[in-house]
Amino acid sequence: MSRIVEIDNVTFHYRQHQQEPLLAVDRVSLQLEAGRHTAVLGRNGSGKSTLARLINALERPDNGTIVVAGMKTSDDSSVWDIRSTCGMVFQNPDNQIVGTTVEEDVAFGPENLGMEPSLIRISVDEALAKVGLSEQAQRPPHLLSGGQKQKLAIAGILAMKPRCLILDESTAMLDPVSRRDFMDLVQKLITDEGITVVNITHHMEEVLLADQVYVMDKGRIVLQGSPAEIFDQVEKIKELGLDVPVHMDIAWLLSKQLQQELKPLETATWEGAAAACLRMIEASSPEIAAKALATLKKDTEMNTGSDASRAEPNSSEAVITVKDLYYTYSKGTTMASEALHDVNFEICRGELFGIIGHSGSGKSTLIQHFNGLIRPQSGTVHVLGWSVSQNSDVKKIRQKAGLLFQYPEHQLFEETVFQDIAFGPKRMGLDTNEIDRRVLAAAEITGIDQDLLERSPFELSGGQKRRVAIAGILAMKPEILILDEPAAGLDPAGRDEILSYASQLREMGVTVILVSHSMEDIARLADRVLVLKNGSVHACGSPNEVFVDEDYLAQAGLSMPRARAFLHTMSNHLNGLQTDHYTPEAAVNELIRYRADQRQNQQEVK
Amino acid sequence: MLGNISLGRYYPADSLLHRLDPRTKLLGVIIFMVLIFMAQSVAAMLLLAALTIVLIILSKVPVKQVLSGLKPILFILIFAFVLNIFTGTGKEWLRLGPLKITDQGVYTAIRMAVRLTLLIMNTTLLLTLTTTPVMVADAMEKLLGPLSRFGFPAHEMAMMMSIALRFVPTLLEETEKIMKAQSSRGADYDTGGLISKAKGLVSVLIPLFVSAFKRAEDLATAMEARCYRGGEGRTRMKSLKFTSADMAFAIF
Repeated sequence: MSRIVEIDNVTFHYRQHQQEPLLAVDRVSLQLEAGRHTAVLGRNGSGKSTLARLINALERPDNGTIVVAGMKTSDDSSVWDIRSTCGMVFQNPDNQIVGTTVEEDVAFGPENLGMEPSLIRISVDEALAKVGLSEQAQRPPHLLSGGQKQKLAIAGILAMKPRCLILDESTAMLDPVSRRDFMDLVQKLITDEGITVVNITHHMEEVLLADQVYVMDKGRIVLQGSPAEIFDQVEKIKELGLDVPVHMDIAWLLSKQLQQELKPLETATWEGAAAACLRMIEASSPEIAAKALATLKKDTEMNTGSDASRAEPNSSEAVITVKDLYYTYSKGTTMASEALHDVNFEICRGELFGIIGHSGSGKSTLIQHFNGLIRPQSGTVHVLGWSVSQNSDVKKIRQKAGLLFQYPEHQLFEETVFQDIAFGPKRMGLDTNEIDRRVLAAAEITGIDQDLLERSPFELSGGQKRRVAIAGILAMKPEILILDEPAAGLDPAGRDEILSYASQLREMGVTVILVSHSMEDIARLADRVLVLKNGSVHACGSPNEVFVDEDYLAQAGLSMPRARAFLHTMSNHLNGLQTDHYTPEAAVNELIRYRADQRQNQQEVK
Repeated sequence: MLGNISLGRYYPADSLLHRLDPRTKLLGVIIFMVLIFMAQSVAAMLLLAALTIVLIILSKVPVKQVLSGLKPILFILIFAFVLNIFTGTGKEWLRLGPLKITDQGVYTAIRMAVRLTLLIMNTTLLLTLTTTPVMVADAMEKLLGPLSRFGFPAHEMAMMMSIALRFVPTLLEETEKIMKAQSSRGADYDTGGLISKAKGLVSVLIPLFVSAFKRAEDLATAMEARCYRGGEGRTRMKSLKFTSADMAFAIF
């Protein structure tokens, strides 16, 4: 097989005026085979995006060489040939569209290459057909969905007839359904067009699609191999702050608890992992199972994963009541689109309430009703007894119900972090002492160091900015906190940290409303779940009531949380196994409990 | 909603007007402007109005769409009309205190209103509705092209214009989002005095600028990655070609 990209011992530093050079890529060597799918996995800041920019000659290596299709990236004369050979799709869908109509945007690349107008027309039409956007050719790009915008970006590259496609976290801002859709398109391009794909990502599911995986950490390649080989090293992957497929995680945790050995690559498939778990359970000695259970019971008190360990909400007093709510955008025009249809439910004081649904299901419209940013067109919404339809009540509601939008770091504006966190409390008319107290308390919950408080929020890293934004809402001491996709765009470790605030606040008695695309997060954290589908309530209840029927969930574009699905598979072999657990830890707990009970029963029979 | 502000509302259709060279249309608009202000007689006005109607039919754009282009200037239209009505000279028709309505005043007012209406309708029809902003930018680039010999950055100007137009809806969306986020933190943009309103704007403008710079940086990288290197050697998918229709229109 021919090699399309050869990276040989490359080192790269970012150099900024008056600052220490920042090492981004450290002695990296790798080869990309033509027509193969390679994934580069790593946390935010691991150097993986820099690697992509190096391949595309957007940056030049300090040391070492990169050869793309026989051309050196350090050679000025081949830069344009390299960039037309290796197209790049970036993270933010909005920030890479140049044209004011879809087809004009696709034509941008070929126009830059100086292609004949008639040929451009042909390649533009072909490229749009390949990504399935032919019907949108004349539309302005801002009317496309996020997923469509990213497909448009691919079309813009395909029109340049590339051999290689580099995806630089292209799916980070997409919801799970669009992400799958996008990756399906990428897979199709590999098989149909023979395009070489490099996917830079922190999503474990995407990595499973690749032929070859490189894992990066602190600028270095720390692991490489097939996806199965990579994820077989569960411990190492977790140390790097990355996710492991749930079935592999369960098998690995179980092997540790029961002190059993796993065979190499045995747990790579779902069935393989289930078989391994069965084998380990049957082979485990009763003493070890009982001992493991005892330690786990102790840990459970800290664990919020399983239902049993969760404290009951303080009361069943409703803090938000939604009745017969309808909402239509651009009502009465030809552009009218219904966002909410006959929505009815209640949220109780002190609970963590999850809202889940595909994009465009009305989640965002719904939560904006909770603090009066959108007023009901028909029906009523009451928050803490006040109606959001009353102007005088909305002001009171906004002091008690904090709403945090997606990517909240974009709302920071003050000179210092302290002032930014204090913005909300100041607006509430509190005295300076109280403001100080609240800012410090909010900074502590979100883990913001004291010495950061006097810095400008714009100097901080992305993750730190998001914490500041969250602290800004917490400082208002809301009784109700509404979080819209608080973990969007974060890597697994960042996501877990942000979500831990949600459970912490719930412990403190705050009613938390969590909007998420992630089934796993909602199932694990929420007391009750609302599933929206095309603006209507598809299901509402505890996770155990909602996550029951795989087919019914699929109708709303959702799937069963993996841990529960795995226990379901296991229960085919283990009679009486409880399946209502939503984290790998809780699932393992249940498997061990099942084993220990079984032993006990046998002893009693004897 | 801010998102409804329509800038560059291209109406996609396949018509003679859509196919015309944007340069022809641009020049057409300029000629039309001159004609409108030269036309004094009722007959000339009627002729221009008839021409506009013919153009609307040719363009296949619904009349409602064309008329909606008048909405933003409705206030100016009424204001100019009222001003003209009361400031004219000539035979007095009606007197309301110090104000009087004269025959001349009414004629001027009507003529003014008709002129403005025709002007706006033709510009929106020829430029915004049947021509994409990029085409307009292209046309300007080509028409100003000869000036680049004297160092005038015709290509850069046109590229800037089309990118600006492309990002208007995106930034409007963003503004709305930021305003909502700050409202959730207690910012109030509706009540309060001028000063507190101006202060409130700071909380919108700073994040907006920061994000605009970030977008500009991202876009520059994305453009470079797609081999953009200025106007030299660049071709166009829809290269501008004068056709016989352009000739006919020009003569007309």
